Amino acid sequence: MLEFINVNPNSGDPIYKQLHEQIVRLIVGGQLATGDELPSVRKIADHFAVNPMTVSRAIGQLVDQGWLERRRGQATRVAQNIAQQSDQQEALLYKAIDQLIQQTKQLDVPQTTLVELIKKRWELEQ
Amino acid sequence: MTQPLLCYQNVCKSYQQRQILNDVNLEIEPGMVVGLLGKNGAGKTTLLRSALGLLTPEQGNVYVFGEKSDQLSAQSKARIGYVAQQTFGYEGFKIADALALHRSFYPDWDCELENKWLKRFDLDPSAAINNLSIGQRQTLALIMAMAYRPQLLILDEPVASLDPIARREFMGDLFDLALDSDSGILFSSHITSDIERVASHIALIKDGELLIMDELDLIRDTVRKISFSDSGIDLSAYNVLNLQKNSAIIYGYTGDTIPGAIATNTLSLEQLFVELHG
Repeated sequence: MLEFINVNPNSGDPIYKQLHEQIVRLIVGGQLATGDELPSVRKIADHFAVNPMTVSRAIGQLVDQGWLERRRGQATRVAQNIAQQSDQQEALLYKAIDQLIQQTKQLDVPQTTLVELIKKRWELEQ
Repeated sequence: MTQPLLCYQNVCKSYQQRQILNDVNLEIEPGMVVGLLGKNGAGKTTLLRSALGLLTPEQGNVYVFGEKSDQLSAQSKARIGYVAQQTFGYEGFKIADALALHRSFYPDWDCELENKWLKRFDLDPSAAINNLSIGQRQTLALIMAMAYRPQLLILDEPVASLDPIARREFMGDLFDLALDSDSGILFSSHITSDIERVASHIALIKDGELLIMDELDLIRDTVRKISFSDSGIDLSAYNVLNLQKNSAIIYGYTGDTIPGAIATNTLSLEQLFVELHG
């Protein structure tokens, strides 16, 4: 799974947040399934050359929020019964959409044009 | 609470009437990796050297393992690792001979670790130190400072000449030291992306004053750049680190909307550094 994650120390988001968000994405997007094991904190930290405490913080939050579960003496796994997948899928797009809206307003492009543009670009991707 | 490994109390130091350190208070505890950030001439090296007793502050005290830093016992000195900005002597030595001499000062020297690091960084023990590149010298200095797993490691620009692969390897070693041996690390660097990866805490020094010292994640979560057009904006709820005509850097942001703010932006460490010196 580590190959799906990308850490950028120059980004506006702290590294623990980047890890947190990307692991949620992998779970919601189905690349990580219920019961899948995560590598150890130390392994993740080594892989990205980041402080293990940063990784620990991200994993701790994911456990608190019910995305992952940790049992004594076992690897951390993706939790069962993750609720309301579609809500989560949509929520994960908010940040990118908000940025897009901000830029659109800055360029003085009307909302209807933006919607048309999205449709056009979407079709190009197919 | 555990005793801090290193403790600065109201430390002041000046050279030729210029104030280099102004009332610095700072504590390093086991497990901390503290990244020291500041412009050239901000006082970083003076701060680091005063922890080693290499210079004495005019006011205030520096304690290492509870002892005053200019009166350290031999046992305490053997538990400190230091890599200076300029690399060391041992000119005319071969690597192996220099290491043998250096090793003799430290009862807790780990030969296995030394060998592992020599191999990993491709250092040939029979090579003459005079012929080493700056990066290789820096690597050797790090081995010399870390092979006895010091309780307190002080690094002044340790990685500037290391290639990115060696830097990553070295960062892994720092974590091993901080977490497995419960050591404390204080290091200065201008490479903010490295600090962002490696540090648990950040100490930011400007004109001899410690502007911020806190957990890196906390700093990243609660520092914001606020843009505004009306300079009457009320920012009294926050710690204002820098105030310009149309923007301010605040610390302690809680997510609330600030009336009068046109934009509220997060900052990377590098951006924060640049903004604070604007």
